Amino acid sequence: MRTLLWLIPALPFAGFFVLAVFGARLREKGVAAIGAGSVGVSAVLAILAGISFITSPPPGGSWTQTLWTWIGVDGFRPAIAFYLDALSLVMTLVVTFVGFLIHLYATEFMSDDEGYSRFFAYMNLFVGSMLTLVLADNLLLLYLGWEGVGLCSYLLIGFWYKDPANGSAAMKAFIVTRIGDAAMAVGLFLIFMNLGTLNIQEIMQKASHTWPRGSGLAVAAAALLLGGALGKSAQLPLQTWLPDAMAGPTPVSALIHAATMVTAGVYLIARTNVLFLLAPPVQAAVAIIGAATLLLAGFSALTQRDIKRVLAYSTISQIGYMFLALGVGAWSAAIFHFMTHAFFKALLFLGAGAVILAMEHEHDMFRMGGLRKELPVTFWTFLIGSASLSALPLVTAGFYSKDLILWYSWSSENGSPWLWAAGLAGALLTSIYTFRMVFLTFFGERKKEAGRRPGRVMTIPLVALAVLSVIGGFAELPRTLGNMPVFSEFVNTVLPPVKAAGEAQSAEAAMQVVTSFVSLAGVYVAYLLFLRKRRYVEGLAATRTGRALHRLWFSGWAFDWVYDRALVQPFFWIARINRDDFVDLFYDGIAWYNGFFHGALSLTQSGKVRWYAMGIALGTVIMVGIAVVLL
Amino acid sequence: MTANDFGFLAPLLAIGIAPVVIMLAVAVRRSYVLSCGLALGGIVAAFLALFAVPQGMPHRVTSLLIFDNYALLYMGLIFASTFAVTLLASEYLAARKGDLEEFYVLLLLACLGSSLLVVSNHFGAFFIGIEILSISLYALIGYTRNGLSIEAGVKYLVLAAASSGIFLFGIALLYGETGTMEFPLLAARTAAQGTNGLILTAGLALVVAGIGFKLAVAPFHMWTADVYEGAPAPVTAFVATVSKGAVFALLLRFFAIVDINAHHSLFAAVAVIAVLSMFAGNLLALLQNNVKRILAYSSIAHLGYLLVAFLASGAMRVTAVSFYLVAYFITTLGAFGVVTVLSGKERDADDIEDYRGLFTRRPWTALIFSAMLLSLAGIPLTAGFIGKFYVIAAGAGSALWLLVVMLVLNSAIGLYYYLRLMVVMYVSPGEEKVAVTLPLSVTGYLVLAVLVILLVWLGIYPAPVIELIRSMTAGI
Repeated sequence: MRTLLWLIPALPFAGFFVLAVFGARLREKGVAAIGAGSVGVSAVLAILAGISFITSPPPGGSWTQTLWTWIGVDGFRPAIAFYLDALSLVMTLVVTFVGFLIHLYATEFMSDDEGYSRFFAYMNLFVGSMLTLVLADNLLLLYLGWEGVGLCSYLLIGFWYKDPANGSAAMKAFIVTRIGDAAMAVGLFLIFMNLGTLNIQEIMQKASHTWPRGSGLAVAAAALLLGGALGKSAQLPLQTWLPDAMAGPTPVSALIHAATMVTAGVYLIARTNVLFLLAPPVQAAVAIIGAATLLLAGFSALTQRDIKRVLAYSTISQIGYMFLALGVGAWSAAIFHFMTHAFFKALLFLGAGAVILAMEHEHDMFRMGGLRKELPVTFWTFLIGSASLSALPLVTAGFYSKDLILWYSWSSENGSPWLWAAGLAGALLTSIYTFRMVFLTFFGERKKEAGRRPGRVMTIPLVALAVLSVIGGFAELPRTLGNMPVFSEFVNTVLPPVKAAGEAQSAEAAMQVVTSFVSLAGVYVAYLLFLRKRRYVEGLAATRTGRALHRLWFSGWAFDWVYDRALVQPFFWIARINRDDFVDLFYDGIAWYNGFFHGALSLTQSGKVRWYAMGIALGTVIMVGIAVVLL
Repeated sequence: MTANDFGFLAPLLAIGIAPVVIMLAVAVRRSYVLSCGLALGGIVAAFLALFAVPQGMPHRVTSLLIFDNYALLYMGLIFASTFAVTLLASEYLAARKGDLEEFYVLLLLACLGSSLLVVSNHFGAFFIGIEILSISLYALIGYTRNGLSIEAGVKYLVLAAASSGIFLFGIALLYGETGTMEFPLLAARTAAQGTNGLILTAGLALVVAGIGFKLAVAPFHMWTADVYEGAPAPVTAFVATVSKGAVFALLLRFFAIVDINAHHSLFAAVAVIAVLSMFAGNLLALLQNNVKRILAYSSIAHLGYLLVAFLASGAMRVTAVSFYLVAYFITTLGAFGVVTVLSGKERDADDIEDYRGLFTRRPWTALIFSAMLLSLAGIPLTAGFIGKFYVIAAGAGSALWLLVVMLVLNSAIGLYYYLRLMVVMYVSPGEEKVAVTLPLSVTGYLVLAVLVILLVWLGIYPAPVIELIRSMTAGI
């Protein structure tokens, strides 16, 4: 079974290729079969690979499939090789399975769109690149996947390219993530220069041998990789692109900008955990950035009117939790939250997509309402997703993963009460903004008739993800509640275990009660403010500070404004006044000289044989002359 | 000569008998399809014979020829390329008037001359090979008998004859000094004499100058553009690939036996030629508006790049040169193949205006041509990138920093005209020019499809070919 590993990324690539070449000639059914089918078969293969991996674990807990060496020159031998271990297996399973459900949903969601085959071609390319990223055995191949998903993200955000706003959102996403990618590329050069390899496992080994803990090089390498992770995962200060990325079709938001690509940064850090352990200041920065991001994005989500923007800020905030977990050394908790988040956030996006479709592409929640009766399946699944996102206790997957992160942010060696407090405040914000969204959309008075209802093909993924959003959490039961840490035991074959300070079980239980209370309190607050007593919140927003805060949060803490003033405008300004600067002169000079020499040499092309014969004679003289004179 | 010897000679015999058979067939009854089919059959037979050579390599047949893995590798490359040229030519010529059957006689003879070059172990065989090749090419270049074609043929005739003279003079000097024309003996006697003999060095320099004409490196390059432009497109493809590749293979073999690193002054002279070729080729191509001329100039630059790898030492050298040649063959055949399939009855599609808006008219052709141009420019995921990477690695490995820097600078200049050509294909067509619609050439596109697949395959998965080249060239 394992020898078929390469097929898992290859099938979506093949799907992309077929759709790119023949897509225009296929009917919608054929496109859907190829587009969703290729990812579906990949998912089946991934499940089979997972079963064989668990039932007969390979020696050492990992298995490499080397397909070939791309180039072999002395020390530089980048292989096209896939590396399967517990971590990449979890990622692969989530990417293929959730990816398949979203593809399935999209076959109906995107029907009658004129770019139907183009859409599935891009989506397949995305899944192939994402799988390359998670399965890569060296950083060069990982980087190829990393850039591949970035390209697909760009193409899909700007999918409806006829609206220039979508195009500029796509460019924004590409440029902002590129800042991180540049840092990451420099990091790769640095690692290759100093360790002489790009193979991830070799890097981990060599780094722990050659770089002492806290050494400058280790810190630089980890910081540069972190730069890449921040851009891709939309964390402070590179988070500004994600809300605008909602310009893409909703399945794209669900797949790329919620479940998979944006968590690539989390994966990168977990994959190269040794480097971060060698660089304590960087790891501390990861935790702080995570905590800050989850709070800032949580506040922003509170004020959005566009249902997809609420979810976008929520995604930034939830990835903040994952970063917090990575920063405090709770590696497995981060990956666990990645998994549950993929389930419930994909569910929420798909549910939002169904709502938007029913509302004839209305995104504003304040123009919706009372959809509970009209879209029952969407409502119930959306409610389950919301409960999971808000981490309602015991019955939701989000509870188990978020609780684990909060507990370790308090109790692990790198944890601190401050981080915990930030996480707890974030949890309160999460359930407030989530249920604000639920109440505004599905409760209250009806403002608009629901149009198109989701058909069966769109309903199946909603139900499947709703089930996963509940049972996905039972993969890891904390010691207070059954003590069955199956998930962390599995991924801890790869990831280092948490260094906990050894707090008592009673402390953990107490903390769980507190977090449960907080999340329920958030739901109640949302109920009070947005369903029962709207005048409270309206009054609050009408005060001066209220208005100012609303504006600040609504704009995502004015990061766009600051960046525009601090970077974009000055850049334009410099470009304007610097039209004919001396740097340009240099390059113009090069071009001019090239043109000049072209002209001069062209004169030798006279078409006359005697002139050409002269050239041969001259050449002979030069040859013999140099050979004899230098003898 | 034993029966065993004939086993080794089988590929050469096959490629030599085929033209005789075609001539006889033509004498009985003119049939274009038959002569074309016979030519293809001859090439296939010769190719298959490569796999049937007896055990016991390297094997010398008389003192003239040597059969080793290296020779088999290059013969395979030559046969495969000739096969592609034949297929490209078959429909190109069918659209033209006149007696076309003899074209394949000449093409196979040129192929025979090239094959002889890669097995020569002696200046005698070398010279015979070069002359068979050249004489066939004179006629092939002028085959379509329009003004430009005849002019190109005559120019090539005059200049090739002159350079043969230079080459012969070099051989004479070497013979006078060492008393032999066999490469290994020559090397042994040179080493015994010491490397700083004046006459000896002058002789080697003259031989290189004569070869320089065939390779069209600067300053022996001036004929290239005129001949490329005038010759029928498939013949241009042959001149650019097989004729140059075979000569380069011989150069590599000769200077592996007679170590060029021991002749410092000669080394310096070749380095100068390499730099001159890179600059001359790229600068001349820069603002050129004729596609065949652009490709001609680009090939001058590419030979300059190859010389960088040629001057490197160590194990990387032969691998780098051979892989680069394979990539260059595929790419150049593909580029001229596109010119061929786009050419009408009257003239070849060599004006840059013929390519304006090609993407809207013929998207696949435009994509294939783009792939070829990207490979020529050395963009990753194409064979050209891997080739250039190996050349640079070989140069850097031998610390030829000046040459490597020149190569990199020239690659940047080169990008300009490759991209310029690509841009033209993707802009919308001008209104004044109504494009001639041509019938689709089935075999032509088949060849192009295979070439483009090879191009990408070698760009992504070069390992098997590199392994093949390593094992086949191990003896050099």
